[in-house]
Amino acid sequence: MNSVSPSAAQYVGSGTLPSTSEQVLEPRSHFGHALLADSNKESSGEPDEVDRLKLKLMSAWNNVKYGWSVKTKTVFNKTSPLILMGQSYLLSSEDEVERFRLAFGSRVWLTYRKEFPQLEGSSLTSDCGWGCMLRSGQMLLAQGLVVHFLPLDWRWPECPQLTDVDFEVLRPRSPSRTAAISIPSFSSSWGTGMTQKQPSSIASEGLKRAQSGRLQSGREPQAEGLHRRVVSWFGDQPSAPFGVHRLVELGKESGKRAGDWYGPSLVAHILRKAVARSSEVQNLTLYVAQDCTVYKEDVIRLCDQRVLDSSSRSDWKSVIILVPVRLGGETLNPSYIECVKNILRLDCCIGIIGGKPKHSLFFIGFQDEQLLYLDPHYCQPVVDVTQGSFSLESFHCNSPRKMNFNRMDPSCTIGFYARSKKDFESLCSAVSVALSSKERYPIFTFVEGRGQDYGLDSYSGGSTDASTHIIPTGGLNGNKKRGSADEFVFL
Amino acid sequence: MPPFEKTQHPKPFKQRKSFATRKQEVAGIRSKFPTKVPVIIERYHREKYLPPLDKTKFLVPQELTMTQFVTIIRNRMTLMPSQAFYLLINNTGIASMSLTMAQVYKDHKDEDGFLYMTYASQEMFGYWEPYKTLLYEMVTDLPAAGNIVLW
Repeated sequence: MNSVSPSAAQYVGSGTLPSTSEQVLEPRSHFGHALLADSNKESSGEPDEVDRLKLKLMSAWNNVKYGWSVKTKTVFNKTSPLILMGQSYLLSSEDEVERFRLAFGSRVWLTYRKEFPQLEGSSLTSDCGWGCMLRSGQMLLAQGLVVHFLPLDWRWPECPQLTDVDFEVLRPRSPSRTAAISIPSFSSSWGTGMTQKQPSSIASEGLKRAQSGRLQSGREPQAEGLHRRVVSWFGDQPSAPFGVHRLVELGKESGKRAGDWYGPSLVAHILRKAVARSSEVQNLTLYVAQDCTVYKEDVIRLCDQRVLDSSSRSDWKSVIILVPVRLGGETLNPSYIECVKNILRLDCCIGIIGGKPKHSLFFIGFQDEQLLYLDPHYCQPVVDVTQGSFSLESFHCNSPRKMNFNRMDPSCTIGFYARSKKDFESLCSAVSVALSSKERYPIFTFVEGRGQDYGLDSYSGGSTDASTHIIPTGGLNGNKKRGSADEFVFL
Repeated sequence: MPPFEKTQHPKPFKQRKSFATRKQEVAGIRSKFPTKVPVIIERYHREKYLPPLDKTKFLVPQELTMTQFVTIIRNRMTLMPSQAFYLLINNTGIASMSLTMAQVYKDHKDEDGFLYMTYASQEMFGYWEPYKTLLYEMVTDLPAAGNIVLW
C-alpha cells in the first residue's frame, strides 16, 4: 500500500510532527479500511519507518499537486434520498448505509497512475496532471462493462469501509450546511468496525440475500473472475484494450497527443473506437450521439446482428449510448439541473463524465443539490494487471464525495446502457420522459430514422437550393459602402 | 486540429451597432423576406478549437430544422462529424434539434428582432493550479463546521 493511509496519521501524530489537533495534518486516509490495530503496531517503530514516511509525504504532495487536495468530510443527509447509479438510498438506517457502501465501493475507480510503461511517441510514464478526462471516460466504460458482464446486483465482497463521511440530519432547504444538526451517528473516518459486527449486519446480510434474488452473485467466484478481468482491461500497459496507452493511441487520430487535455465528447469517440477494435467485448457496441441527437435507426443498425451475420449466436448486441452535450455557455444553465437529476435517477444511466472547470470527474449520482462523484485526481503507482492475483484495492474508492451542481462544467457526456432491443426501447421512452420538462430546451432528443436522413440531403423546402449565396446589404438599400461582415448570408 | 487561440475576437454584433440600427436592419430584411429568419451567429468568446466564421448575419428559411441548420454551419466550417459543435441560443442553452427555425425564432428572438446564437465546442479538462483548487474548495465546499482537515 503506497498511498496515504490512516496509519500515516499515526506516524505524524506519534513521531516526527507534533500532533496538534484533528484539524491539522491528518493525511488523507485513503484506504481507510486499514485497521487501527495496524497503525498502532506500525507506530511502535520499525527501521524503515522514516523512508516510508518520506514516501507517504511525497505521495501526499503529489496528490496536492494534482488536485486531490483537501481532506474534507463529505456530509450526507439522512433525510433525503441519495441516488447512486439509478438506485435510491435513504441513509437513515444502518442497513441502507451498508447497502450504499457496497454499491459505492463496487464501482470501478480509475485514477492517475505513475511509473507505467512509456506512452508511445512520448517520454511520459504517467498521466498525472493531464489524463483525468481519459480516466473519467474509463470509469464510465468500466461501469458499462460491469453492468454488461456481471449480474445485475453484483457487489464486490471486499468492499472497503467508507471513510471521511458523515451522516447527518440536514434541514431541507437549509441555507447553509453549518446548520446541520449533528446527531450521534454511525459514521467515522475509521471505517466503523461497528457496521461490521453489530447485529444489524446480520440483518443487512438477509437484506442482501433478499435483494439478490436469483443468486448470491457477489460471492460467486465466477463473478469475481469477471470483475478482475474487466479491471485488467483498464491496465496501464500497451496491450490493455481500454488502458490509457490504447486510448492515447486512438486519440492521435483526432490530433491529440499524450500529455494533451481531452474533452468529454472527444473521449466518447475514443471509447467508441476502443470498443469497436477490441476483441475482448464481442457482444457489445458503443454509439455516440451526433449533435445532441440519438438516431434510433442508427443504433438499431449497430445492434442488429442479423444483417451482417446470420450465424451469430445472438441477434442483438448490447449497446452503450454516449451523448456529448453542452449545458450552457460559461457555466451550467441552472434550468438543466432538474433534467440531469432525472437522468441520474434512471436505471439505464451509467453515469456522466464531465467535471468542474478543468478538473474532470465521473458523476455517478446526487443528493439534494449536490452531485456524487468519483475523482480520478489521485496519483497511484501502477499495478501490474497481468499478474493473475493483482490487488484490486486501488481500483475501488472508499471515499464518496459531492459537489454543488452550480459548479458543474457545462461540457459533459452522458452514458446509458441497454442490454436488449426491448431494453433499448424502454431506454428511449424512459430517457425521453426524463428529458421533458417545462424547460424549452431538452438536453438532447431521440429521433426515428438515421442521421443521414436529417441532414442537408432531405432539405428541399424554400425556393432556393441548399447552397448559400450572399447578398450585400448594400444591394438592399442602395448603399454599398459596408464591408463583408455586414452582409446577410442567405441559406 | 490546430487551436485558434490567437484569433482576435471581434466586438460582439450588439456592441458594434446601436439598437436602433439593428432594429431597422431587421425591419428592412423582414419586409423583403418575410419567411426568412435573421440570425446572428458568433463564436463563444472563450472558444479555442472551432474556427471563426467568415460571416455573422444569416437569413435562414423558417422551415429549416435546427439539425439542418447546424449541418449547414458545420459544413461552412468543414468540421468532422465527430467534432463537438454546439449552437447555444442567447449563450445559455441548446435548442432542441427537431425544432424549426420559426419556432426557435418565435420563442427566443431578441428585442431588436435578431435571433442570437453562439457556437462552441466543449471544454478540455486537465491540471489546474493546485492552490487555486485548494483555496476554492476551502471557500466553497466547507462541510459542517469542524470537519475540515488539512494536510
